[in-house]
Amino acid sequence: MAEVVFDQASRVYTAGAKPAVNRLDLEIEDGEFVVLVGPSGSGKSTALRMLAGLEEIDGGQIRIGGKNMVGVPSRDRDIAMVFQNYALYPNKTVGENMAFPLKMRGVDKEERATKVRAAADVLGLTDYLDRKPRALSGGQRQRVAMGRAIVREPQVFLMDEPLSNLDAKMRVSTRTEIAAMQRRLGVTTVYVTHDQVEAMTMGDRVALLKDGQLQQFATPADLYDKPANAFVAGFIGSPAMNLFTLPVSGEGVTIGSSELALPRSLRSRISSAGLSRVLLGIRPEQWSVGSSSSADGSGSGVKAQVDVVEELGSDAYLYAHLDDSEATPVVVRTSGRSGSRRGDHIVLTPTSEELHLFDPESGERV
Amino acid sequence: MTATLDRPTDLAPAKKSKVGSTLLAVLAWIVGIGFFFPILWMVLTAFKQEADAYTSPPKIVFSPTLDQFKEVFNAGVGPYLLNSVFATVVSTIFVLLLATPAAFAVSLRPVKKVQDVLFFFISTKMLPVVAAIVPIYVVVNNIGMLDNIWTLIILYTAMNLPIAVWMMRSFFQEVPKELLEAASMDGASLWRSLREVVLPVISPGMAATALICVIFAWNEFFFAVNLTAAQAATVPVFLVGFITSEGLYFAKLCAAATMAALPVVIAGWIAQNKLVQGLSFGAVK
Amino acid sequence: MTTTLERPTEIVPRQPGNSGREGWIRRAPLLPALVFTIIVTQLPFLFTLYYSTQSWNLVRPGSRQFVGLENYARVFTDSAFRGVALNTVLLTLGAVLIAMVLGLLFALLLDRSFFGRGFIRTLLITPFLITPVAAALLWKTVLFDPTYGLLNFVLSPFGVGRTDWISSFPLTSVMIALVWQWTPFMMLLILAGLQSQPHDVLEAARMDGATGWGVFREVTLPHLRRFIELGIVLGAIYLVNTFDAIYMMTQGGPGTASANLPFYIYQRAFLGFDIGQSAAMGVVVVVATIIVSTFALRLIFKSFSGGEDV
Repeated sequence: MAEVVFDQASRVYTAGAKPAVNRLDLEIEDGEFVVLVGPSGSGKSTALRMLAGLEEIDGGQIRIGGKNMVGVPSRDRDIAMVFQNYALYPNKTVGENMAFPLKMRGVDKEERATKVRAAADVLGLTDYLDRKPRALSGGQRQRVAMGRAIVREPQVFLMDEPLSNLDAKMRVSTRTEIAAMQRRLGVTTVYVTHDQVEAMTMGDRVALLKDGQLQQFATPADLYDKPANAFVAGFIGSPAMNLFTLPVSGEGVTIGSSELALPRSLRSRISSAGLSRVLLGIRPEQWSVGSSSSADGSGSGVKAQVDVVEELGSDAYLYAHLDDSEATPVVVRTSGRSGSRRGDHIVLTPTSEELHLFDPESGERV
Repeated sequence: MTATLDRPTDLAPAKKSKVGSTLLAVLAWIVGIGFFFPILWMVLTAFKQEADAYTSPPKIVFSPTLDQFKEVFNAGVGPYLLNSVFATVVSTIFVLLLATPAAFAVSLRPVKKVQDVLFFFISTKMLPVVAAIVPIYVVVNNIGMLDNIWTLIILYTAMNLPIAVWMMRSFFQEVPKELLEAASMDGASLWRSLREVVLPVISPGMAATALICVIFAWNEFFFAVNLTAAQAATVPVFLVGFITSEGLYFAKLCAAATMAALPVVIAGWIAQNKLVQGLSFGAVK
Repeated sequence: MTTTLERPTEIVPRQPGNSGREGWIRRAPLLPALVFTIIVTQLPFLFTLYYSTQSWNLVRPGSRQFVGLENYARVFTDSAFRGVALNTVLLTLGAVLIAMVLGLLFALLLDRSFFGRGFIRTLLITPFLITPVAAALLWKTVLFDPTYGLLNFVLSPFGVGRTDWISSFPLTSVMIALVWQWTPFMMLLILAGLQSQPHDVLEAARMDGATGWGVFREVTLPHLRRFIELGIVLGAIYLVNTFDAIYMMTQGGPGTASANLPFYIYQRAFLGFDIGQSAAMGVVVVVATIIVSTFALRLIFKSFSGGEDV
């Protein structure tokens, strides 16, 4: 059990080029489940592989349990990793795969067997111990990879997109199992994914990276409610947050031909930041929908026309465009069976006071 | 157009192509048997009496005999066979011992300038052997290694090494890098993870490489005929000696040729899927 | 290097090595093979270069002396050498191209499922596996023999009498034997190419209305191009060194009518014992090979290095 610290940790592939991971600072507590998330090329996998000892740490430090890991080979870091393609040893049986890390550490045969059996029991692999990996389903292989990691009782678990090779249904159930198992074992875990749903549902805290740079490191709720910048705001949440760059006017902002009044608290934040234009973020569920006939003339809503309606059963997403010169697209989440159809003219009104404001230049939260 | 009219036109092309594919299959059989026929005839002739071999028109029905094979053994093929087996096996072992680590160094944990190294290995196969035979002969003669089986072993090792490096490289490239990474996470040293994890994965590839090397070493003639005599000569050299001393005894020659070719033909049949991979230096998977 | 000392602007890669100790650890597994190959295959060429400047005949001991480029002058004025060089080109190109065409046709025949496909493929590759010396023997005696040869027997209904193929058409006879041996290789190569064709592309082409021939010409042939080039270059590499077939079938004769460079140089070195002269020829052949092969290699190096394009 250990805490993991990234202290200005950096990775550069070629001198002078942009670092793949740039001065990453993360303090991961003992027993915490941290998810590294970001689009491809964000450096999340590189960061994980630096922690694993599979990539050099070119600058700064990574510490596990207070010990600096620069120059320490993987095998001496006391960590276990689950790979995206599982990396099971094809010529070893399930049991041998799981026992391999113990064997390498000189654990005697009997103890190995006991531990493997215990892990197999937990993972429901008892009947498969003598099979070769190729005779297993994807989900079972994933479990073997998990098993190989947990028999070791390492200080830290690393997982590199472990669910991406599973089908959608399996992914959801395994997601829950992994999270539950981690909580039971209490081993510090660093988990990499590109899927923000996995990040939000599994992590105690989530670190969002982009272009090798940490964007925000916070709990899922904070990430959702208080995104540090426009990138975070757009990345977290599905469908993505609506972001509009708008001129500031007396009572709020001008959107298309109409004016959108903003609450006083938001207005004061804009004025103290001294902005004449602002990047306004409104989540799809922060709209209420009215029909255009009921709202004409009132001026408090935004006019839009529906392009596509996605009925999901419990909810519906309306993909619409605003009634402005650019026909800016907008996404609205409504309750199911909203009755809206393609071509309908609607009026949108923000329902929440907690709208998101960002500096249109820097993208930082205002 | 109505449905009833559509039906027959739908069926017709299918029927036609069925006839066509049967014809093509028959053609393939004819071509295959035709190409193989000289070999079949050679094997048949090997089981004939000389009198049956010398007939015009050629005899198809005859009473098979092993006499010719006995004669070949009486002519002393034994030591030649032993030399061939020894040179083939030992050079193949050397090739694998040298090529496996080299292929590892150009694939899983690549050194710099991998392309240059690989290019160098093929380029050695581009240069005509004949340009090297003179100095090789002179050097081998000076150090008293003429007619020595180890001379052939060294040359066969060098001859097969480039192919083996390229072929082994293509097998190493199929090993996911993550296997090595996982092993190192699991606490294995590099040597241990190579032995316990990578080696079992590439061993079928090693077997294929070995078979290719065996085929080439067994069939090699140029070095053997120029650098060996009574002591170290191999089976192809025996065949040559056999033809000159025995003149035209068809059946006996065919028996000798059959014996010379048989081991490699069987090896090649086993490795036929890997044959191209070896000969193309791994360029075709 | 510590964190505090590090300047905040530049992070340099701490590459593990291609330099220093780590670099040598990486290179170590390569070195034995590399050193061995250099010693056994490269050093002899240096000797060849040196010998080519000597007048040195093994049957006249003590006659050895430096003669500069005289050996080369004799090579280029030797009309037999030119004829032999031409033979080499004809034999190599002829055998490679005919084998390629036949191999392509056979591969197309085999690239469909039919009863006994694996068996036929096995039969077809066998000529390639036969020890070349045995194959040459087989052609010389069982097939080409004027009296008892199968070829004359098969052709007799067509009025071909007792042709002595090998004396009448020595170079062609050798070429036929080589084509027979090399067609299987070309076939296997093209078959590998055909089978690596993605099925969806073929299906898409058919959906787009291409006929069988159209699919072949527009989709399959461009896909096979890489394999055809590879087959030609590899076939040429091996066939330019042809020795066994000539040695067994014609001994280069009559005269040098069917000799190629390897056989001619062999004759000069081991029958004429003229070391200097044969070394000079060797050098000429190497230089010519280097010129041709760098040209050929540039064309197909993509295939060798396993480029995934095409």
